[in-house]
Parts: sequence; C-alpha cells; structure tokens
Amino acid sequence: MLTEYKKLLSPNKVHLPLTDSFYKIATAVVKAGEKVLRGQIIAYKENDLVKTPIFSTVSGTVVEFKQMRDRYNKIVDHIIIENDKQNEDVEYKTFDGEVPTSVVISQLTKHGVNILDVDGIYTSLKLDSSINKVFVNIINVNEPFISTDYSYLLEYAKEVADGIKLLGQGKKEVHVILDKYMPAEPKEALIENLGDFDYKLILVNSSKVSGYDYSEIKKIVKEKITNDLHDNGVIYITAETCKVVSDVLRKGHAPFERHILVTGDGVKDNAEFEVTVGTPLYYVVEDLGGYQDIENMNVHVGDYLTGVQLSDDTFSITETVDAVDLSEFHEEPEEICIKCGECNDVCPAGILPQNIMDAELRELNLRIVDLHTDECIECGLCSYVCPSKINVLEWVRRAKRRTN
Amino acid sequence: MEFTTKKAPIVNNSSRSYKRSLLLHFTLIFVTLVSLGLQFYVNSLENAFNALVMVVVSVIVAMTLELFYALGEKNVRKFEQYKGFVEPINIALIIALLLPAATPIFVLILATVIAIYPAKLVYGGSGYYIFNPALVGVLFAQISFKEALTTAVGDNLTPLMMLKETMYGTTHNFDLLQLLTGNYIGLAIGTTCALLLIVSLVYLCISKVVDLKIVFTFLLSMALMSLIIGWFNGYWINFMIVNLLTGFTLFAATFLISDSVTSPTSRETKILYAVIIALMTMAVRVLGNQVEGIVFAILLGNMLTPWMNRTVKRSSKKSFLTTIAVALVIVILAGVGLGLLSQNMIYPELTNIMEVLS
Repeated sequence: MLTEYKKLLSPNKVHLPLTDSFYKIATAVVKAGEKVLRGQIIAYKENDLVKTPIFSTVSGTVVEFKQMRDRYNKIVDHIIIENDKQNEDVEYKTFDGEVPTSVVISQLTKHGVNILDVDGIYTSLKLDSSINKVFVNIINVNEPFISTDYSYLLEYAKEVADGIKLLGQGKKEVHVILDKYMPAEPKEALIENLGDFDYKLILVNSSKVSGYDYSEIKKIVKEKITNDLHDNGVIYITAETCKVVSDVLRKGHAPFERHILVTGDGVKDNAEFEVTVGTPLYYVVEDLGGYQDIENMNVHVGDYLTGVQLSDDTFSITETVDAVDLSEFHEEPEEICIKCGECNDVCPAGILPQNIMDAELRELNLRIVDLHTDECIECGLCSYVCPSKINVLEWVRRAKRRTN
Repeated sequence: MEFTTKKAPIVNNSSRSYKRSLLLHFTLIFVTLVSLGLQFYVNSLENAFNALVMVVVSVIVAMTLELFYALGEKNVRKFEQYKGFVEPINIALIIALLLPAATPIFVLILATVIAIYPAKLVYGGSGYYIFNPALVGVLFAQISFKEALTTAVGDNLTPLMMLKETMYGTTHNFDLLQLLTGNYIGLAIGTTCALLLIVSLVYLCISKVVDLKIVFTFLLSMALMSLIIGWFNGYWINFMIVNLLTGFTLFAATFLISDSVTSPTSRETKILYAVIIALMTMAVRVLGNQVEGIVFAILLGNMLTPWMNRTVKRSSKKSFLTTIAVALVIVILAGVGLGLLSQNMIYPELTNIMEVLS
C-alpha cells in the first residue's frame, strides 16, 4: 500500500506546542522577534514532578505565540518559528564509546526524554538500580491501514542497536520482541549490529491481535504489572526510542525529525515520512498531492486501536505522533450490547470491559472502582472484538477518568 | 470537505451481532421445517398440520405485537428492514417448537403474547431482558394450561418418563436409533430429533453464534452427573445417553442457555451458570414430578445472572482454572448426592440418626 519513503525537512514555519497530555504548565524563555538557533531551548514545560526543556527544531525567527489545536485535539499555546533554512546549530556535547548509565540518564533528562511510552504502557525513565529488565518492541506497526516495510530499521539499524546497548548495559536483562515472519534483511542488520551484546529474542506472531506485548512481559516479570512498568523494574521501548537514546548521546541532541506514516484513502498518495518536528499536517498533505474529493474526512492520529480523532488538519507533528490516517468516514451503526462477553475474554489486563461499561452507563462510581478500572492500558482490543461495533474503549476511558 | 470526529476508523474483526442472530434465525427455520416433516412421519397428518398452524400463528402474533409496540413508541423505522423481525420470529419459533403438536391455538397465542410483551418489551426490548422470553411464555403455558397440554400429549410416555418409571421397577426398552432420529412422540414439536439438533449445534459452534464455554460445560456436567446417578441405579451408560438425547437437553444447549443476553459475561461466571443449570435440571428430573425441569432450571440461571455479574471483579487464567476445578467438584458431589437420594439411601440414614438423637 505504501509507495515511497519521503523526507520533508525544511518547512517554512514550525508550530511547537508548549504543553501536552503530561506537562500542563509552560514558561517560554524567548520573545517574539528573537532569533533562535536549531537545538536552542525555547521554553520549559513542567508538571508537579518534572521540568523539561523544549528545543527549537529549526533555526530562524520567533514569529508569535498563538493558541492552536494540538495533536490531542486540545487548544494549547504554540510557539511559531519561521525557518530561515540555514540550519544553524548550537554547540552540542557528544559522547563516544562506552557511556556509564548515570551519564545516559542525565543526558536523557537534559534533552527532555523522560517518559517512554508504547501504546498506553509506559515507563517513567529513572534508570536507577530498581530497573533490571529492558523490553524492546521492534515490530513495526503492522496494522490494516498502516503496513510499513521495515525500511526504518534497515536505515537506522546501527543507531537502534546502539540505543539498545546504551539502555541495556550493566546487569540488565534485555528482551528484543520481533515478529516471527518479518523479512530477513532488517532482522539480520539488527542482529549484526547488536554483535555479541547479551540479549534474548522473543518471537511473536503479530498478525494475530491479542495484546502480545503485555502478556509476554507478564510472563517474564512473573508478577501483576501496573500501568507504569517502572514499578515492576521494567523499561518498555520501541526501535524509535532506541534511536532517540543513541542520538542524544552520539549527536548531542534529540532528533529534530520524526518518522511518521501518512495513510488512508483520503489523500492522493500514501508515504512514509521523515518530518521536522513542528510541521503542520496540511503541509505534509500538500506534499502528497492534496486530498481526494470526498465529503466526510476522518483524521486519526496514532494507533488504529488507541489513537485520537481530530477535528481539523492544522495540528503539528510532534514527537508523540507515529502515524496519521486520513480516510473517508465510513459509518457503521452501533448495535445493542448483546453481552456476549468477548471483550472480557480478550482483555490482556484481565479486567471486565463489558461490566465497566455497564457500570459507567448507570454511573455507579463505587462499582467502577471495584472493577479495577484504573488498570486499563487502553489497548483497544475490546473495541476490536466487539460484534456489536460498540466503541467499548471510549466507555472504559470515561469510567477511568472518574477513578482519578 | 468536512472533518468528522464521530468514530475512529477502527478495523473491527468480522463478527457482527446481526449476522449472528441471522444465522441462529436460519438454523431455527431449518429445525422447524424438519420437525414439521417429522411430525407428519411419526404422528399424524392432522397433528403435523396443527403444528404448522401453530408455527405460523405464533410468528404472526409475535410480529404484530412488536409492530404495535413500536407504533406506540413511534419507533417503526427498524421494521422497514427484515432485520427488525428476526428476533420476534426467533422467539415465536422457539415457543412453537417447545409445545406439543396438539396444543390448542389460544394457549399458544397467550404464550406468545406473554413472551413478547411482559417478558421482553417491558424490560426494554432486545438486549435488555432478564429472562429468556420464549421460556417465560412456555412456562406460562405449561403451568396455567397443564391439562390442555397433557391431553394434547395423550397417553404416550416420553422417554424421560419411561426412565423415571424404570427407577421404580417397571422395565422399558429404549431404541438408540429411535432416540437419535426422533421417531417417537415427545412433549414438544421440535425437541425430539437428536441428530438434527446435534448438527445445528455443531454448525452454530463453528460459526461462533453460541458460546462454546457455556454449551460444553452444560453438556459435560449433564453427562457426568447422569453417569454417576446411572451408576448408583445400576444402569451405567444407558442412563446418560437417554438423559442427553431426550428431554429438552440438546434443544436447550443449542437455542436456550447460550442466548448471550440472558447469560453472564465473564469466563468464570459462564462456567458456573452452565453448571447451575445442569445441576437444577438433573435435580428436577431425578427428584421432582415435573420431568422436563430444564425450563425451570434455565429461568433460575437467568435469574442468578445479574447477581453473578455483580460478584466478579476481574478475570484471569488462574481464577478461570480454579472455577473449572470447583465446578468439577460441585458436579461430582451433586451427582453422588442425587444418586444416593434417587436410591433412597439418604432418607433412612437420616431418620435413623434423628431417632438416635431424640
């Protein structure tokens, strides 16, 4: 389905959101009209616990501060920087050879890589002594609309392997999750680059939708796992994150580009993209030849089970966007819940989505707490299996919001 | 061009609720047609014609009632397609199949009205009812018009009644081929031909319309319990075969207990639900006068369903295995208990103990 691998690295303007779903407060350190370099700190975002810098991803002039829609469909403050296309960088501090874990941590924190997240299962990145296992998910998105070839892994096998080594050094158990049926070339490239590094391979069949990562981690950890895997001494990351870790240490900055997929029958062409962080989506769509002539467009950001629906295409691509689906809206009417219990059977966290939905419909707060709703990892499998086409995940999310 | 945020382009798996009810619908129609033919072969032409009239009248009554109710609610749009009629027709067919061939038509009409209006529409229609509507109608007919139904059956003994009599000394012979093909006059139109019901059960299992967990737990616990009871009574495996092939056992497994709306939603409770129904069925069959106790048993299971749904908090492999183990123990204990009771082995002991105590 995908035809090309494109790079789109010099937008005229970038829109950098100051807050997101995790960081709620931000302080800008630049003013409108000021000239900034690439990699320069332009603001700090913070929540109660952490304060993280935001970097400029282009060199140029700060145009204005403006309230715009971000990729979570919320209106937040953005800094808009006009690109002078000179790519002037600040000076970076780089590291070669072996780097001790403490330095890895301090550098990652300095560059704003605080939370590693794979589909709702996240790890707060404190590589302290309690962490003893690292899981690396290198199954490229293998989903109905988003089927990638493994070109990313082929191109960056060296960086990915380096990132795995940096995070997995010391006495940590490293597990690399791969697809059983992945093509041989990228797999060999990765294994060759990992060399004699001590790791274990987990091979899964990713074409079967079943929440395999959760169950594999559970099998190895041998205890009940929570939403924040840090509590279980586990870091769970993707290939992409490994490259970020490698870049922070070897190049001295987190990558200014994001690797995304733009798919769907709503645009004239589909492609894998390397985009500068902060590029608005319509700029990407223009590059693909514009929209098809259809009436109702559906913009879906993220995973096809867990992603977010957006009401326009002005949002900018940030580090957290991995895929954008632009397709025609196909209405499929919901039917009445027939209480078949398939969502209860499939849930990898072992909670009961149907019962939670029922409790949410009747607004029974105590019952919602009783049903361990907070353990939901929002994988979306319940919506996937539902024969009545009910968006069960949305109901469970609503119930989950009551619990905190 | 406009942007919508109604629903994500989630790719669902291919199963659809509507497709399921449609498959059930076709299976029911198939079973009905074959059963009518069987009535003609086993019973008389008159009875077969009466059965045909019953099916048609029941379906018409159910459809009209649903339509009138929808008119009252000003919600007729769903009846523009055939989709809206699938469920009422299913209920009507089940009622007709569960009554004897010579049932007076007014009894059938009353049963259908009870099933559609108080047992289904009052609770909120499809997806919301607590009791299996068809069974409520059938139970109503069985209790209120007992005499009319008994005369309809006539003096013919059903296999289960014969089995009951053999426990008290009379001898009867059972022909396995007759039981499999339904070549005898039973208590209901559609429940006699075991072969037909087994074929439809397998088809519904393959097409995932019925829940395998419920159906297999039910059949296995019925088999195990009747095997133990049979052993106590000295019949060994024949008791089990008759119990599985006759009565409403296979019909219930195919069309009644696996109805997803009235059964629990998690793995553990599904197992318990099936075991409770099997246990009640065997208890009524062995101890009670009403030989076809399965109707009561299923309604009791339906009644316990909301409570069972409320007791579970989460589901895991461990608790699932524990439930299976507990269910197995319950089934074996119940089998032993019922076997002893059926042989009057407990009452004398108890009276002895009471005498000693006093």
